[in-house]
Parts: sequence; C-alpha cells; structure tokens
Amino acid sequence: MRPHILSLVAIGEDRGDGNTSLRQIIAMQEDLHNGLGRHRINASIGIHDLDRIKFPLTYTTTNENFSFIPLDEDVSRTIKEIINSTQNGMQYGYILKNLGKYPILKDADSNVLSFPPVINGSFTKVITTTINLLIEVTAKNRKIAEDILSILAAALSDAGYKIHIVQIKGNEEIINSPNMNSFRIDLDRNYVNKMLGLDLTIKEITKCLNRSRLDVATIDDKSIGCIVPRYRIDISQPIDIVEEVAIGYGVYNLRPTLPPSKSVGHRNRTSVEFDVIRETMMGMGLLEVMNSNLVSRRVQYELMGINEPEKPLAVEASKSIEHEILRDSLIPSLMRSLGRNIHEGYPQRLFELGKIFKLNNKIVNESWFLGAVIAHNVADYTEAKSIVQTCLKIGFGKDSITKPARNPIYTDGRSADIIIDKQAIGVVGEITPIVLDNFRIRVPVASFDLNLSLLLLL
Amino acid sequence: MNANSNLHPIELSLLRALEKGQLMSIEELVDSTGLEIDQIRRGLEWLRFKNMVQINDKIINIVLLGSNGKKAVIEGLPERRLVRAVQKDGINTMTKIGKARLFDNMNEMTKAYEIAVYRNKWIQEHLPEGSISEATSEKILTATKGSERLSCEEKLLLKLNKKQITIIDELNAEEHKSLNLFKRRPNYIVEQKQKITEYTISSKGKETITSLTNKDQVQSERRLTQEMITSGKWRRIRLSPLDVEAPVHLLYPGRKHPLINIIEEVKEAFVGLGFTEISGPIIQSSFWNFDALFTPQDHPARDMQDTFYISELRQEDNLATDAHIEKISQIHKIGWNNKWDVEEAKRIVLRTHTTPVTIKYLAENRPENARVFCIGSVFRNEKTSYKHLAEFNQVEGIVTDENVSLQDLMGLQKEFYSKLGLKKIKFWPTFFPYTEPSLQSMVFIESLGKWVELFGMGIFRPEITQAIGIKNPVLAWGGGLERIAMLRFGLHDVRELYNNKLEWLRRTPRCPL
Repeated sequence: MRPHILSLVAIGEDRGDGNTSLRQIIAMQEDLHNGLGRHRINASIGIHDLDRIKFPLTYTTTNENFSFIPLDEDVSRTIKEIINSTQNGMQYGYILKNLGKYPILKDADSNVLSFPPVINGSFTKVITTTINLLIEVTAKNRKIAEDILSILAAALSDAGYKIHIVQIKGNEEIINSPNMNSFRIDLDRNYVNKMLGLDLTIKEITKCLNRSRLDVATIDDKSIGCIVPRYRIDISQPIDIVEEVAIGYGVYNLRPTLPPSKSVGHRNRTSVEFDVIRETMMGMGLLEVMNSNLVSRRVQYELMGINEPEKPLAVEASKSIEHEILRDSLIPSLMRSLGRNIHEGYPQRLFELGKIFKLNNKIVNESWFLGAVIAHNVADYTEAKSIVQTCLKIGFGKDSITKPARNPIYTDGRSADIIIDKQAIGVVGEITPIVLDNFRIRVPVASFDLNLSLLLLL
Repeated sequence: MNANSNLHPIELSLLRALEKGQLMSIEELVDSTGLEIDQIRRGLEWLRFKNMVQINDKIINIVLLGSNGKKAVIEGLPERRLVRAVQKDGINTMTKIGKARLFDNMNEMTKAYEIAVYRNKWIQEHLPEGSISEATSEKILTATKGSERLSCEEKLLLKLNKKQITIIDELNAEEHKSLNLFKRRPNYIVEQKQKITEYTISSKGKETITSLTNKDQVQSERRLTQEMITSGKWRRIRLSPLDVEAPVHLLYPGRKHPLINIIEEVKEAFVGLGFTEISGPIIQSSFWNFDALFTPQDHPARDMQDTFYISELRQEDNLATDAHIEKISQIHKIGWNNKWDVEEAKRIVLRTHTTPVTIKYLAENRPENARVFCIGSVFRNEKTSYKHLAEFNQVEGIVTDENVSLQDLMGLQKEFYSKLGLKKIKFWPTFFPYTEPSLQSMVFIESLGKWVELFGMGIFRPEITQAIGIKNPVLAWGGGLERIAMLRFGLHDVRELYNNKLEWLRRTPRCPL
C-alpha cells in the first residue's frame, strides 16, 4: 500500500506570463513519476489548487464503491469504474491490485483531492490561472517521498514560489513537511586531490564547491565539511563531493596525464588462436562474415528443414522475430548470408567465428565454433573437406579423419564427422537441395563446422 | 634499335588495318581491329603525333529518321496498318476502318488508302455480291498477295533504323526513289550535313610497317607455354607485346570482416598500453550484470523491455561467494532503501555490457594493481534501426592502482584514441550509475567536421569496489565499437556492418584514406 504522505504549500504570484513556471513544474512531475517514482509504483505526486481546499485534509482508505469526479471528467465515478474503464485506471490501477482498500485524500468538506497513484479529483484541478499550490507525495517509504518533495520544493523556490510548511499528524509522530534539512559530508583534502590528480588547497576546494552551489564548513587545513542541501539526492558519499569539486574546477581545466604501466600487456589465448584460424581461412580465399548470436526460429530451424528442439534458448519479450533464440549452430546464418548474395559473383566462400549455445541440465554451455560455406557451380564435399583438413593441419598440426555420419541438413552419403584423436570435433557435408531451395540459392553448397572450444583443449 | 620496340601493340594493330592506304573511320577501325573505341582513339593520337597517320575531314549528307519515321518503325506505316486492319475479320470497309480509329486524322487515312490501293496494290476493292451500284452499297476491301512483301519505303525505313548514320550518296536507285517519296510525307526523315573524320596511313607509317613486316620473320606468340619452355622452342619465338594498359577484373580476396580489423586495432592499442585481455560468458546472472554494479533491483534498465532474459532459467549454483552476496545485498539495502531479493539476482540475462566480466575478474583476483580489457558481444532489447542494434560489440578497459586519478583516466583515454588515429578529443561531465566521477568523451571527426560522442568513463563507486574487496580506485572506460567502425568506413546505417553484403565485404578499403 502507500502508507506515507508528505506535502507542501507553495504561494505564488501572478506574473502574467501564462504561468510558464507551473508548466515546468508539471513537466518535472512526470519525470519524477517515471524516474524516482518508478512509474508511480514507488511514489506519486499530486499538484492541487490550494485556494479550493479547506483544511484539515485526511489521508485514509475507502472501498471500490466510493465515488468522486475524477480529473478532466464531468460525472462522478466509482473507484471500480475508474480502475476498470479509464485510461489512468488501466495504466496504474494494477499497483493497488489485491489490496481490497484504496487510498484517498480528502479535504475538510470531503472533497476528493486525489486517489493515489491513479488520478486526482476534478475539484482541485490546476489551470493556467492557478497561483497557489498544494503538492502532496504518497509513497511506499518515507525517504522517497522526502526526496521527491525536496526536489519539487527547490524547483518551486527557484521559480519564485514561497514554500510553506504543512503539518502532518501521523499515527506516531507529527511531521513538519517538507523536510529541507541539509546534511553534512566530511572529507579529506588528500582524498580529493588523490582522486582527481590535483594539488588543491582547502581554499581552492571550497571555491570549487561554492561554484557547484554547495556550502563548506572548514574543519582544519586537512579536511572540510560540505553542507549538502536536502534536494541533492545524488550526493551520498565523499566521492560524490569529489565530483562536485571536479565540476566546479572545470573538467576542461583538468590535464590528462599518462600513468606509467606496471604490467606488460597481452591478448588472451583465444585471440591468438583465432588469428591462426583467420590466417588459414583467408589464405584459402575465404571471406569472413559476422552474424548475430540471436537469430530467428525461421532461419535456424524452418529453412534448414530441422525440428526445433524441445527447449530452444529463447529470450523473453524480444521486440523482433529476428532475435528470438540463441543460435545452436553457425551454418543457418551462413546459409542466409549466401541467400542474400545470390546476385553477387561466384565462387562465394564464407567463414564465421562465433559462439553457439546449448542448454545442458539447466546450464547454458557457450562454445566457440568455426563455420564455413562454399558455394559455386562445382562446390562439393571434397572441396569442403580439403579446406577443413588443411586448416587443421597448417593451423594446429593436427591430422584428422572423416567418418560417415548422417545429418539432416546434408545429403545422405555425403556428410561425415571430422575426427581428431577419436573425438568428433565437427561435421562436413553437402547441403541438401531442399535447404538450398528454401534459401533461394541456385548453386551447390558444401559446408563444415568445427567446435573450437573442444579443438583447443586437445 | 628495332622499330617494333617503339610501337605500342595498339599502334601496330591500327597500322596493319590501315596498311592498304584506304580511308577509315573510327567505327570501321573498331570493326576491323577488334579493339575498344577508347584504345583506338588513344592509338590514333599517338600515331598522329608520330606522323604515321593523316586525318581527312569531309562533309557528307546524311539522312536520319524523323519523329513519324521512328513511330512507323514500331507501329508500321499508315498503309501497312490499313492492310493489317483489312486482314482482320470484319474490318473490310472504309466506314468500319474509320470507326476503328486507326489513324490520327482523315488526311492520314486517305493517304494510306491511296498508297495501299493504287501505289502498292496491297488492297483490292469490289462490290459485295448481289450489289450493283456504289450508290447503294460500300465497296469491300481485301488484301492482295502483294501485301505480304515489303514496300520500298518500308525497306528504307528498316535500313535507316538499323544504321545510326546513313550517307545519302551511298543509297541505291530504289532507295533514292523511296527517299523522295518520304520527303513528301511530313516528319518521316531528316536530312543533315555532317563532318566525318577518316584516317589514312602516311608515307612514314607505311615505311615503318613495311620494314617491320620484312624483319618480322620470327614467329610471334601470344602466350608462353610449358611446352615451349621444356622443348626449347622459346629460343625461336618472339612473345608479342601486350596492351599492358587494358583493364582487368579485380579478384575476390579472402579477408577479415572490417569490424574485426577495427577490433584488432583496438586490441593492439590496449596491449601497447600494458593491458591484458580477459573474456567471459555472454550468459550472465543478474547478480554480476546488475547487482554487483549497484543497479537497484527496480531500475528500469533491468526491465524485460530493455534487457533480454532467458525464459525460466535461474543461476542456482555458483552465483557468487556468500561474502559477495552478503556485501552486495548490504550496499543495496543502504543505498536504495529497499529490500534486496536474491531471487531477482539469479535471473539469467544476455549481458548488457562487458562489465560483469571485468567486475568478476576484480572480485575473484582482488588485484592491487591491474590493467585489463574485454571485448565482446553485448545485448539490449531494442528494435533495430539505422542507429540501434539489439546486439553489438563493446570494449571496456579498467585500471586499478594505488595512485590513479581522474586525470590519469583522461590521459589513458587520450592515448588510446590517439593510437586509433583520433587526435582531437574533449571531456564532459556526465552521469553513469556505477561510476563517480563520470565523464563523457567526444572526438572531433575531420571528415564530418563535427564532434562525435564516443566512450564513457569514470571511477567505480567505492560502494562497489569495497563490496568486492578492492582497495584501490578502479578507472573504467568503454563503449560500442560500431560507432568507430562507421566513422572509419563512412557508413550511415549501423546495420550495414552486419548484413554481410558481399560487395561491401569484398571491396571496402581496409584503410580508407
């Protein structure tokens, strides 16, 4: 529920400018709703015409049959109607779901100010001629309500409003709202200089902080106490004050310095092994392509003519059917690359280095794979086998053999497992004509893939 | 010195074609030498310069098709259209022909009728059977056998259409007659005067070619074969010179993907600065992707709308050490004033940045000083567009040491960019959730004449480093590599990097200048 409510009164003056400052406050209300308020789940804000209200106000609960005239409507509606049939109700009503009771804020004449977090009442509606405001924040916890109200109070004060206290009688205490008590963060001059790489005196640090609109209470020549206004909710630690010093000093005044390195750098083993693979593939005339890890079911299974596994690694709520599942083989994406380039010159020989993903006992295994496709008038098993065996031989000094193996994407009798030291590390074969037809490819294609994660362990 | 060595093969071909002393136009030389028109123009210029050919300009009268003539090529002459109509069932009287609206005007129809009936004799007229007078019934038209032949006008029309230029003096008697008939019909033909240039061999050219032919008793071969080399025949032959300026096809090279070229450059820049490469899984727990980086559990970035989660999977085992879980939960409870749920931390995500890899490295190794970098795929649940991808490559570098500062971070950054050829940079204060202070860097791109936002950077918040047992400040920076690749290769749509168009992959310059 929303047990906390805080409020303030802002007395304005008519400046005859069509109330631009009020408009700005209302725009800010939306930002706060969505940000700190997490789309009103954590907190929501009501802005009301003070002059319509008769104090004291009561924040209480009611049932779904209670009715009032909601904002921007002419007729009275029950809470139930509001939740089920108004736009705001449908958007925010779920926040109160299953509570059975509904929060409501009323004035002394029982006029409804708001039904948080869903909608305000029509009675206290703010219009362009409204001058004096009452603002209330209801929230899950008091800190968020205070944070939001302090930000609004600071903005209203900047806009020329006079802020007045609202006294709130809670079950256990009387609160004077808004809480605008500043707080103090102490920090060492050395810490500031160490983090920024500068050598500022206390006096200079104070000057920087003043430029960032922060007051400083000097402690001694080594440390300061920084006075932080309540509304600076972005500041909680000494490091946050360091940033204020940097901004006050001016980032453009900082001088980039290159610290000496204590270490000698190197790339990891995978990078080095991949260099070798790329070198051998390029030497045999293959061109590298890059595809996404996330692919569509259509390309991965349907066009390849294979059954979708029982539990493919699907992502939730993807915005595109192109990115539904993590791929479990590189060949489909390579086939699609060929299918998209049928008007380009042949031969087309492509390779890709990429990860594939497999679910194994509720754990996802990621393995690096090399995939290649060879497409031209006389592409065949022999050429693909030559390429893969040459790669293994000159890249890694490994002799490999091939043993017949059936595979649904390859023509029967024209596919094999690639075996090193009795371990199958890949598959090579001629793609079936039906798969070629699915991708609209008009020349024969031979392909292979290699499990590099496995190969590099051998 | 052999005269031959002074002649280019194009020149030689031209002189041979002109050897008999006749006048030839460029078009005729194309036909007789088989060379390209540009090669011929080039060769003739050289020969003129050497005084081996002479130019002869003359004025000729030519005839071209006019607008009606061009139309007639497609639709047929009016009389032909009339005959075709008569051959069709039913349209066999002048009244019916008038109704069929075959002609633009009455005059054209009358003319067509006269030519078809009287001049060409393509159509016969007779009264319908049983009728006796023209006054009571209209004459029936029928096509004659003669209509199957082309008229002399049609023949000329086809000839004019086939040849680009027809010289009037070269027409025969029948064609002249047709030409005169056409002159009486408006806009069928156009007569013009035209200057043509013809070439003839000069006496010097003739001498050169003759002396060459006399000397050229040695057999000339176009291609050196294995047989010639092994048999020794090469001693008796002469290899003919080639047109070394003739265009050739470019090859399809085996090469790396251009983005890999960029990634390798970036890796080299890091290694040069003393950084070691680390890598880690794409699949991560929310704990390392978000919680360890102080991202509140109700933060919008953790929403399904922004992040890819794997349906129904949880990281039940090896989430983190108990101490890590305890400390991270503490900073959340203090910093975000709400309860922290370990179940939320177990959700499986496709990493939204490479930072889970670097932060885990720090947590597991607790180095006092280190320089490491990580490059790899990261994911955001976004609709793809010319500037957004759901999956892209990110790079990230971190430095930890006792005495490293914001100015050091800026210095490393400047050096890093400079290694990639980006010399003009500036920094801007900004906000990132897990660094403080945070800066945004911008680089000036000369070719675009503007500043472009590149990597973000900052010092890890102390809450984060303390929770994983790191004492010293941690400098971090990173960002997507696609932006750099787009700037380098002049792309305007980020998707072009991944759509694998072979034309681009094969031909895009490795180092555009």
